Amino acid sequence: MTGYILRRLGYMAILIVLVAVVGFIIIELPPGSYLEVELDRIRALGGDINQAMIDALKQQYGVDQPLHIRFWKWLSGFVRGDFGLSFEYWTPVSKLIWLRLWYTIFTSLLTLVFQWVVAIFIGVYSATHRYSPLDYLFTVLQFIGLSVPAFLLALLLMVVVHRTLGWHVSGFNSPEFQDLPWNWAKIVDFAKHVWLPIVVVGANGTAWLSRVMRANLLDVLNMQYVQTARSKGVKENVVIWKHAVRNAIHPLIMVLGASLPAIISGQLIVGVVLNLPTVGPLYFRALMNQDMYLAASILMFLTFALLIGNLLADILLAIVDPRIRLGEG
Amino acid sequence: MTAEEKMTTTTTQTAEETAARAVDNILTIRKLRTWFFTDLGISRALNGVDLDVPRGKVLGIVGESGCGKSVTSLSILRLVPRPGRIVSGEILLHRRRKAPDGTITEETIDLTKLHPQSPEMRAIRGAEIAMIFQEPMTSLNPCYTIGNQIMEAILLHQDVSKREAWELAGDMLEKVGMPNPRQVLLRYPHELSGGMRQRAMIAMALSCEPSILIADEPTTALDVTTEAQILDLMRDLQADIGMTIIYITHNLGVIAQMCDEVAVMYLGRVVERASVEDLFYNPRHPYTKALLDSIPHVGSRTKRRLASIRGVVPDPYATISGCPFHPRCDAYMPGKCDQLVPAPANVAPNHMVRCYLYSDEGEVENGG
Repeated sequence: MTGYILRRLGYMAILIVLVAVVGFIIIELPPGSYLEVELDRIRALGGDINQAMIDALKQQYGVDQPLHIRFWKWLSGFVRGDFGLSFEYWTPVSKLIWLRLWYTIFTSLLTLVFQWVVAIFIGVYSATHRYSPLDYLFTVLQFIGLSVPAFLLALLLMVVVHRTLGWHVSGFNSPEFQDLPWNWAKIVDFAKHVWLPIVVVGANGTAWLSRVMRANLLDVLNMQYVQTARSKGVKENVVIWKHAVRNAIHPLIMVLGASLPAIISGQLIVGVVLNLPTVGPLYFRALMNQDMYLAASILMFLTFALLIGNLLADILLAIVDPRIRLGEG
Repeated sequence: MTAEEKMTTTTTQTAEETAARAVDNILTIRKLRTWFFTDLGISRALNGVDLDVPRGKVLGIVGESGCGKSVTSLSILRLVPRPGRIVSGEILLHRRRKAPDGTITEETIDLTKLHPQSPEMRAIRGAEIAMIFQEPMTSLNPCYTIGNQIMEAILLHQDVSKREAWELAGDMLEKVGMPNPRQVLLRYPHELSGGMRQRAMIAMALSCEPSILIADEPTTALDVTTEAQILDLMRDLQADIGMTIIYITHNLGVIAQMCDEVAVMYLGRVVERASVEDLFYNPRHPYTKALLDSIPHVGSRTKRRLASIRGVVPDPYATISGCPFHPRCDAYMPGKCDQLVPAPANVAPNHMVRCYLYSDEGEVENGG
């Protein structure tokens, strides 16, 4: 097991370097660079940037240097925690993304928990009460959840919540709390805001995961060992949750690694619509404006999220299923 | 003593025997109907099963696929899957309870009256009636160790600590001849061979000392060597513990080896029931005869085609009037066999058959 995890960590390091190389090249592909665009703009406006400053910046980020040198400078800086400078915001990337990254990870985890809890309960209910009225209702909701795009759901919910409850619905906090330190009232306000993006971003995944859970549990319920457990006199609830669900949950864990990046990119559009202070909207702008150190840094963090998610999923899978745990040695 | 007197005494003895047997049955099934209400129609899996299971004996149930053998066992355990359910009939369990002062009391419970999920039914499952299934490869949960799964059964029905249950599970594995029983407790099912898994299943089924063990083709998926070992083991354990076994199979060779009495099923009914000797040496029902004829014998005349039964088991949704076997029967009597279901007739002591060759009495079906 330890060897397995170490091997996986090794693959992860290689993958991160590869993603960094490919990502850097792709971001560099369009001609020109943000620095030139920005300098031109400031010059046109008659800004007071002098040649020495430009040279210093060019020197610092080496925009005149060949790609591989710039890449190496950026990567070695990245490892030390210096992610470079955002050209657009004229601030270090680390300062820009720190709070947003924290919000993103926190809300993504909340979304993940929401998806799992709702999907498992709906899936188990649907499988154990197949063709019941509620099962049909869930099926309809699942297909709606799968087919309605997140931004539309976000807009609809925004309108409905604002009209009926009169709540402020964009961002994570009402304007009056925006700059206050965290206290109980702010947490309550946060909770009043955060459920909306969680439901919107999670709807699609929940619908899908609960379909998978239902189908898989239906398969497992036909397995002989479920009947064996019943024939021992085990309570039906225990049969379902201890014997059946544990064997039906594999696909959910397997997609866990992919869920995290899916949630983060799902937050992108929803983040724009709901004006959320997450990395999604920032990433989008950075790519549009060729703000390359910002874009590359966010790409790296998303890659980390994907790889860590995958590793956790594999470890969890090994814990749940002894065949995987013992087979891998 | 005249011949007539002799006859009378025999009859009396038989009646006494019958009475004794009736008392000593551990399970009595009467007119059991289990139907499956599917979208395609009603499948009458069991259509009036009558069966007496003698205490402490091995009763074999034999028949082709789809005759209702497995549904009978699932009905007894009240584990018939949806959309099936017991429509009518009785399953009477004659349970013996030993009081602390040593007196034995007997009570009769109608299992069809219990809710499948009720605590009473769950207390019977595993503790009174245990079951071994056909597929040892899939009948153990892959996510839990063997010890964990046996322990679960013990903890459900016995008032012992976890540690004691674990010890008991190890003892049980030892009893079923598992090599390295204490280590096997920690193993997962995928680490064991088919034969070892079936031994583990038997250990689990017997862990609470049930009075009835239902074995549904427990050796079908095993190779012959392992099959022989498992059969020996079950015979030994049966003699040891003195429990009743209901052995379900389509293999007449296994019946001959394992069983004291045999019930032959066809399309949801018991068509013949006799002691194993009677059935093999003196079969009465045309279906039983045909079944026995279709077994290849070592040393039989070569170049002779092996007999087979005409046609196939009818579609389960079809309703056949009269004797369900008549479309395939060589002794078919038009106007007789296709009218009413033949009533059970005793052709010899402890030998029941449902066929118009032996009795003219028909049975009016109800609810069919």
